[in-house]
Amino acid sequence: MIINKKYFLLYILIFQFTIYSQTDWVRWEKSDPTYQIEDTFLDRNYDLSIESASDVIVKPVINAYWFFISDVDGANCPFNPSCSSFLAQSIKETNIFQGTLMFFDRFTRDTNVFGRHEHYPRFGKKHLYDPVSLYTLNEEKIKYIPAKTFINE
Amino acid sequence: MFKLFFLITLLSSLLFSQQIDFSSPLNIKLFADYLFCDKDYLRAIDEYEKYLSVFDDDSIQFKIAVGYSAINDQSNAFKKFSSIKKTSSFYDQSRIEMLKSLYLQKIDSSYFLNADLLINSQSPFSNNAYRLKNSSLLLIKNDLPEKENFLIPFENEEKNNLSNFYDLKNDPPYKSEVWAGIFSAIIPGAGKIYTQEYGDGITAFILTGLFAYLAYTNFDHDHPTRAWIFTAIGAGFYAGNIYGSVASAQIFNARVNFDFDEGVKLFLEEKNYFTPTYDFCK
Repeated sequence: MIINKKYFLLYILIFQFTIYSQTDWVRWEKSDPTYQIEDTFLDRNYDLSIESASDVIVKPVINAYWFFISDVDGANCPFNPSCSSFLAQSIKETNIFQGTLMFFDRFTRDTNVFGRHEHYPRFGKKHLYDPVSLYTLNEEKIKYIPAKTFINE
Repeated sequence: MFKLFFLITLLSSLLFSQQIDFSSPLNIKLFADYLFCDKDYLRAIDEYEKYLSVFDDDSIQFKIAVGYSAINDQSNAFKKFSSIKKTSSFYDQSRIEMLKSLYLQKIDSSYFLNADLLINSQSPFSNNAYRLKNSSLLLIKNDLPEKENFLIPFENEEKNNLSNFYDLKNDPPYKSEVWAGIFSAIIPGAGKIYTQEYGDGITAFILTGLFAYLAYTNFDHDHPTRAWIFTAIGAGFYAGNIYGSVASAQIFNARVNFDFDEGVKLFLEEKNYFTPTYDFCK
């Protein structure tokens, strides 16, 4: 059988295209993507360890509120940290008396619905950033962030 | 005949291909210049470094430093500017650029030392250094010199801005934390209104008033348990508002400081930190 050289060359050319094409199978292998939107807002720190006298009362109350009310109700607090987390953090950073005053002040800000979207930095898509550090009356801890700035924490 | 033609074509394409030597120093420089003018500074610096490995060229060293400065790598920019020799025609420019790099890194004693050296030198940019130094005095906590002395190096058109900054620095429009607390103690929410938190002030007034009214009516109608609960909540809102007004005054003052610093920084940016502009891409 006489092989036509032209066809033979063409065959080799096409054959090598076939064997060397798409060698990186890893990129195309099967994967299991998740389309669930992650919401770190509800990642609670269910901690009942007693570090100070106030933790005996405050931590069980806050944990119970998170478990029975807040987690069921959803991420409805417009702020980050949420009002209950704000209370827990402010008591941890100061003391139960100052922390309670900070909470009442935060609750006033939470109740005020006028112009707050123009007033606070943004945390994620839905929340307004209002950290405890601004309200401890320690001027060195105040790191002013202009309104409407997006925070990536 | 066909085979001969085929061979000639093939051989000529092999022999005469790539006659341009893209890796020659001159072409590397041309490519680097193109990248530099295209503001692709990082790649331009790489190409200029290749060129510098063959030729010693102070203008290229200066362009590398300008490139680093443009991408805000001030540490490398400072190193490159400081490597410019005294004999170079770019020496004076490199000194003021070094001062700019130091300013953008940190305003510290080393920055002021370099500024004073340049101000007291014979450099044509000593007045620029003086202006940069005085402007940056606005951003630190130290007391400012007398206003007349402070404004000496600036041009007339700049004096207006600098005079305003000077006055704001010496007498910032702060809100008193004590007054904010006192106002809220007298009328709930008044402290917040004083610190321009109008919505929060009105809300605090309504909440405290509402719980005070609920407590009063419950006492009046002999419901002491409910009355005491409302009293406690009302007292919480009242005291929390006094506390919050003090905190609000602190935040207001932090905002004043922030706006002031941003204003000065923006002014300096607009003035290009009193450094000359270079037209390497004409």
